[in-house]
Amino acid sequence: MPGTQDAVAPEKTREQVMAEREAKKLAKQAKKQNKPQSPATPATPAAPATKIITEVVQTTITTKLTTTTTTKAQEKLDSLAIKTVPPTVANGNDAEAGEKSREQIKADRGAKKAAKKAGKGAGAKVEDTTQRLSDLKESDKAPAKAAPPATENDLEKKKPALSKAERRAIQEAQRAAKTQGQAKKPQPAGKAPPTAAPKEPKRESVSPTKAATSSSPSKCPASTPSGECRVKLFNHLVCAKEDSQFINDPLVHPSIARLGVQYAKRTVVGSNARCIAFLHALRQVVHDFETPAKKEFGRSLDAAVKHHVDHLHKCRPLAVSVSNAYKQFKNQLTQLPADIPETELKELLGHFIDTYIENQIGKAAQAISGFLQEKITDGDVLLTFACSSLIQFICEEAKRRKVAFRVIVVDSRPGCEGQEMLRRLHAYGIPCTYVLINAVGYVMAEATKVLLGAHALLANGYVMARTGTAQVALVANAHNVPVLVCCETHKFSERFQTDAIVYNELSDPNQLVRGDKCQLNNWKAKGKLMPLNLNYDITPPELVSAVVTEVAILPCTSVPVILRIKPDIGY
Amino acid sequence: MREQPLKEVTQLIHAIKVGLVEGSYSITNKTLDIFKYIIMSKSWQNADALMQIVRGQCKILQAALPQETVTSNIARRILKLTREEFDLLHAKVQHFADDSQASLSLHKLVTQTSESNVSVDYSVPQQGLREALLDHLQEVETELETSSENICVQAEEHIHSSEIILTLGHSRSVENFLKRAIKKRQFLTIIVAECAPACRGHNLAASLAAEKNVEIVVIPDAAIFAMMSRVNKVIIGTHSVLANGGLRAACGAYTVALAAKHYSVPVIVLAPMYKLSPLHLCEQDAFNMVGCAEDVIPYDSIPAREAKVYSPMFDYVPPELVTLFISNTGGHAPSYVYRLLTELYHPEDLEI
Repeated sequence: MPGTQDAVAPEKTREQVMAEREAKKLAKQAKKQNKPQSPATPATPAAPATKIITEVVQTTITTKLTTTTTTKAQEKLDSLAIKTVPPTVANGNDAEAGEKSREQIKADRGAKKAAKKAGKGAGAKVEDTTQRLSDLKESDKAPAKAAPPATENDLEKKKPALSKAERRAIQEAQRAAKTQGQAKKPQPAGKAPPTAAPKEPKRESVSPTKAATSSSPSKCPASTPSGECRVKLFNHLVCAKEDSQFINDPLVHPSIARLGVQYAKRTVVGSNARCIAFLHALRQVVHDFETPAKKEFGRSLDAAVKHHVDHLHKCRPLAVSVSNAYKQFKNQLTQLPADIPETELKELLGHFIDTYIENQIGKAAQAISGFLQEKITDGDVLLTFACSSLIQFICEEAKRRKVAFRVIVVDSRPGCEGQEMLRRLHAYGIPCTYVLINAVGYVMAEATKVLLGAHALLANGYVMARTGTAQVALVANAHNVPVLVCCETHKFSERFQTDAIVYNELSDPNQLVRGDKCQLNNWKAKGKLMPLNLNYDITPPELVSAVVTEVAILPCTSVPVILRIKPDIGY
Repeated sequence: MREQPLKEVTQLIHAIKVGLVEGSYSITNKTLDIFKYIIMSKSWQNADALMQIVRGQCKILQAALPQETVTSNIARRILKLTREEFDLLHAKVQHFADDSQASLSLHKLVTQTSESNVSVDYSVPQQGLREALLDHLQEVETELETSSENICVQAEEHIHSSEIILTLGHSRSVENFLKRAIKKRQFLTIIVAECAPACRGHNLAASLAAEKNVEIVVIPDAAIFAMMSRVNKVIIGTHSVLANGGLRAACGAYTVALAAKHYSVPVIVLAPMYKLSPLHLCEQDAFNMVGCAEDVIPYDSIPAREAKVYSPMFDYVPPELVTLFISNTGGHAPSYVYRLLTELYHPEDLEI
């Protein structure tokens, strides 16, 4: 990538500056209280510099300090032969008003990245591995601590409802982002050799289009500022962030911003819940969307939604169900008729979203439940793992049919989602047994069927689900108990995966620590001790007797067939 | 007539029940001390009386602590010792030691059958039996003391550098074994499954993390299968080894062994000889116990009122899931355990 960026850099930055200036003019009137903010902060190479800058923001010292660091950084940049970074950006500080918060976030983010890189680089040369680790930790902490106050500042400023001018500024920026996104498209073909590797991260963070051009949702970003998982096997995965630092992105619709926080804090969990919440937020976005002047509704909405989805992805990697819904929505956007007024188009989209929820989630659940009701008979003992809205629905339906059955809920630390399942089933008066996952062998002998929910079904027939699902299936298999995975087709994914390590999500490792007396307390100080909190695991198809979908009860290996014959979930 | 427990025995039972004495090693050690005391006491006059006392106390221990098989194991060792020493002394007195005891030639083995059926009368008082027993007991004690060390020294034979090892819960043998391995081998990664609800794996992880040059990863029990694909070896401790080579191990061991089997990862079980029990149990219902469920789900939560909650303590691991036993005498295949048992205990003592 570095080389390719080199090629278009001048154009990009010129465009960017133009967009910024336009935005500035408009926003200046609306916001006079804004302080100048150096856009060149990303170029600052190390953590101390970041600190200085955030302090500047907080204490509102004049530009002096900032400009000194900026010029220093600028010199360094120049010496690194980046001729494309226009000095106007650095000098135009005073006019930065409208772009301020956005720039600042970018700057913060960039600086963090730079700091991390710097820490890494320096450590590798000078100190040994252990020291490097501690360095990294420190340099990670510094910006993390510095960031929240700045965020609050911004929020305060931003809160007084988006003024017209501001909105214009946002749209202006979106347009800029879009044009750049288009300019970027043809690039990957000409992959030049990476000539200027060290300066690359800085350049990237200068670009305001980074968000718009970031990787596709199915891929995890290689490293983020707060990704500090130290387990070697999982270096490529991002750790859950403690607090979302993207809240104050002015381009993000409030409903999406809220959803982002809910994703990040795990208040909205479960494939279906996440998908429904996403679609509701999306409907709000569509409803509040204003087409910029001389733009096509469909395309500009597409760009805006893409930005929102990227924001959500940063908060927490998207669920397969969400990215499928998004793909569907995008597909719908491209098929919008051109000769209909905007309001009707919005209605059309709103209708599409409603039907998607109803068909893909609501009716699918009913269909799956219908299939399974034939399988649940008097005296059955169903074993299930953790919490699944679909399994809950099936159990409730069976209870309504007055089938005498009971449920064994298997659960695992640290999530203990099974307790929620237990609570819901208990509310329906279904007799339950509750065990932790290592006791699954103890209760498996009683079970007559194992019902499992899924996060996604992969194209090679593997089932991606909450960690522990594979273990339950394994033990069930050893006891010759049939394993039925319940999964709507909207969760089918075209990805192939053979282990749970390449692609996964990591939750907060501190969840493993139990109370103050736990030996894991303060694990960061105890040498190379690290808790690992994996989110998903992969169940191989040979452990699954059948997958129950709304289409039919199928073997796992039929996933690609479904993907092909059901083009409306296709891509 | 029911045997009355000795004061020492009641004390030991109490100490174990309230958790003052923990771990198979210390329990074994304490039990051995009691039997040593019995042997030293003047309460018995002949081998038969001694064996009666040992059996009686062992039964009491067994009834009070059904989960602790090591107490019966050590009693069986004492019984076997008594028999051996008595036979030896008896033979010497009878002046045919050279004939029947000194050499077990093939000819003897073949022709022995009818002779050995002649039951020995242990009620005959035997001079010097007490001293001989105490001597021999010293050997047993040393064996017990060095068992952990003897297992440890085999670490190098089984672990190479940069290995990824998975273990479960907290076993002292495993802790020492791994510490030794960490000292001798570089770049090990040790994955510790925490073993909820007690989460004793945390203790092991914290203890191992004090060593250098090692990466310790603590995972919840649910992630065992997910991590197993990268694991080179599974090393676990066990509560006891059953006669068929199966394990009665901490809850969760079954899943670990199954997952290891699924990924064809060798499962190494560290079991000192005193954990070998001549019990033929091949399903967990035969020996399992359920612990306090408060840790699994808080008693005051709403669903806990209606739901049945189990917190079993043990898992049965069938012998086909175990690759190798490492005891203080070396490595053994699970199929060889029965043979070790016949060497360790007298067939007549299998039922106490």
